[in-house]
Amino acid sequence: MLNKRPIIQVNNLSKHYVRNEYRPSLRHEATQMVQRWLGRATQVSWQSEPFWALKNISFTIYQGESVGIVGRNGSGKTTLLRTLSNITDPTEGTVSVHGRFRTLIGLSAGFDFQRTGRENIYFNSAIYGFPPSVVDTFIEDIIEFSELRDFLDTPVKRYSSGMVSRLGFSIAIHMMPEIIFLDEILSVGDSAFQEKCQQRVLELKDRQCTIVYVSHSEASVRMLCDRAIWLHQGHLMMDGSVDDVFEAYTEMIHGEATTT
Amino acid sequence: MSSPIPVEQIIEKSPQHLQAKPRLRLAPTKGWVSLNFQELKEYRELLFFMTWRDIKVRYKQTVIGALWAIIQPFLTMVVFSLFFGRLAGVPSDNIPYPIFTYAALVPWTFFANGLTNSANSLVSNANLIKKVYFPRLILPVSAIMSGVIDFFLAFVILLAMMLFYGIVPTVNVIWLPAFLLLAVVTSLGVGLWFAAMNVQFRDVRYAIPFLVQFWMFATPVAYPSSMIKNDLLRALYGINPMAGVIEGFRWALLGTETSPGAIIVVSSLAALLMLIGGLYYFKRLEKTFADVV
Repeated sequence: MLNKRPIIQVNNLSKHYVRNEYRPSLRHEATQMVQRWLGRATQVSWQSEPFWALKNISFTIYQGESVGIVGRNGSGKTTLLRTLSNITDPTEGTVSVHGRFRTLIGLSAGFDFQRTGRENIYFNSAIYGFPPSVVDTFIEDIIEFSELRDFLDTPVKRYSSGMVSRLGFSIAIHMMPEIIFLDEILSVGDSAFQEKCQQRVLELKDRQCTIVYVSHSEASVRMLCDRAIWLHQGHLMMDGSVDDVFEAYTEMIHGEATTT
Repeated sequence: MSSPIPVEQIIEKSPQHLQAKPRLRLAPTKGWVSLNFQELKEYRELLFFMTWRDIKVRYKQTVIGALWAIIQPFLTMVVFSLFFGRLAGVPSDNIPYPIFTYAALVPWTFFANGLTNSANSLVSNANLIKKVYFPRLILPVSAIMSGVIDFFLAFVILLAMMLFYGIVPTVNVIWLPAFLLLAVVTSLGVGLWFAAMNVQFRDVRYAIPFLVQFWMFATPVAYPSSMIKNDLLRALYGINPMAGVIEGFRWALLGTETSPGAIIVVSSLAALLMLIGGLYYFKRLEKTFADVV
């Protein structure tokens, strides 16, 4: 591992969110401003109640590694992926990513739901910098893999969730990323398709693609990953081999289940 | 299972920035930010794609499609001619009132639609912003660029009207692209401010129609700026950049005798300031869009 180059470096990463989903309005801001002038500010700013989705996370991922991110709901897994993929800024700390990456968060990886499947293949590829002429060279493979040939000219808004994720996954893996961020994506679709996807991810792994995989499924993390990072309430609990991490993780979950 | 295309083959064909292996380094956005035009250039394919997408949506999902681009300024022209031209007797620099106001309504409609669409561009693409990274600037820019087609359609009617009234454009017509550019800069400058604010404050969405309406009456669309006799005051009128755009259009196409030089200089400066301010404000907030929208 030592001779490999670091691909993802995360240093003291913290991400801060506002707990109460309160949208500041112009009216609210204006009254606040007037109150401050009058010297009786109520200090009930919308920035109250800080919530640290991630706190002081540091780790390094090397080329060709595939790392599973595990943790309970709300532990900060998706926030971590969103930060790694440049969708949102860290509140503190730094993140460095060396290479071409592709993110699949949730079902739709940036689709325009009004447009057809085919149009979305071009659209989604354009977001990642592939011009239509290049997409033409591999669009057949995408269609083939997604098993959506009959629905290609149907607007994506009429797709089932399984179909949307199949299309998203098919586009993503055909773009030959150097780094791929997957959020729970392999657990959608029927088991045959899941197997096909896992096969493809393993192929990417063989090609030295770096994989960061968020999942609740122990089986799929064990199958795809050779390292795991366990997040709990925004803190990094453990970073190590899949076996070690799952041992500690399941122990904690069982402990919680029996005490409550 | 179909065999995948070799990695090398795709990398060879993919754009420069993908081969160059971007070194992405993220840290909290603070202070003055770099505008990073290089990145925008790298994503130009996406810019064209989004612009084209907006155009297609507009013309495909409406019943009379392209006609909307003409109906909007044309009917406004009819109403203005009736109420301001005929009934109120507003002067029109010795040019038939209908074409006097239509020559202003063409760039005005472009500006107003561009402003409205770009201001709403981030909110209406919330789904994309939350899921993938791309320079967010592409959204408001493409919203304005897609209006250029509408502009040309409305412009064709303007040419037809000039033919009808027997107006021959002066040589100054070569300046017309510059005035269109000034309109683009203005609507982008203002659009960027409102697009970024709209993410935080949804009030903006409701405020914009009013703003556009008030702004139109503050712009010499229905009346000539020559109603202001004081030269200095008239030049200062150019602080509203659309005053410069419209006086420029009339001067270049209809040959109005009131030289708009001073107004246009002031307008260009004002528009540039708005754009630079808007760009910084937008870039500063860019990374918070995904969290807030």
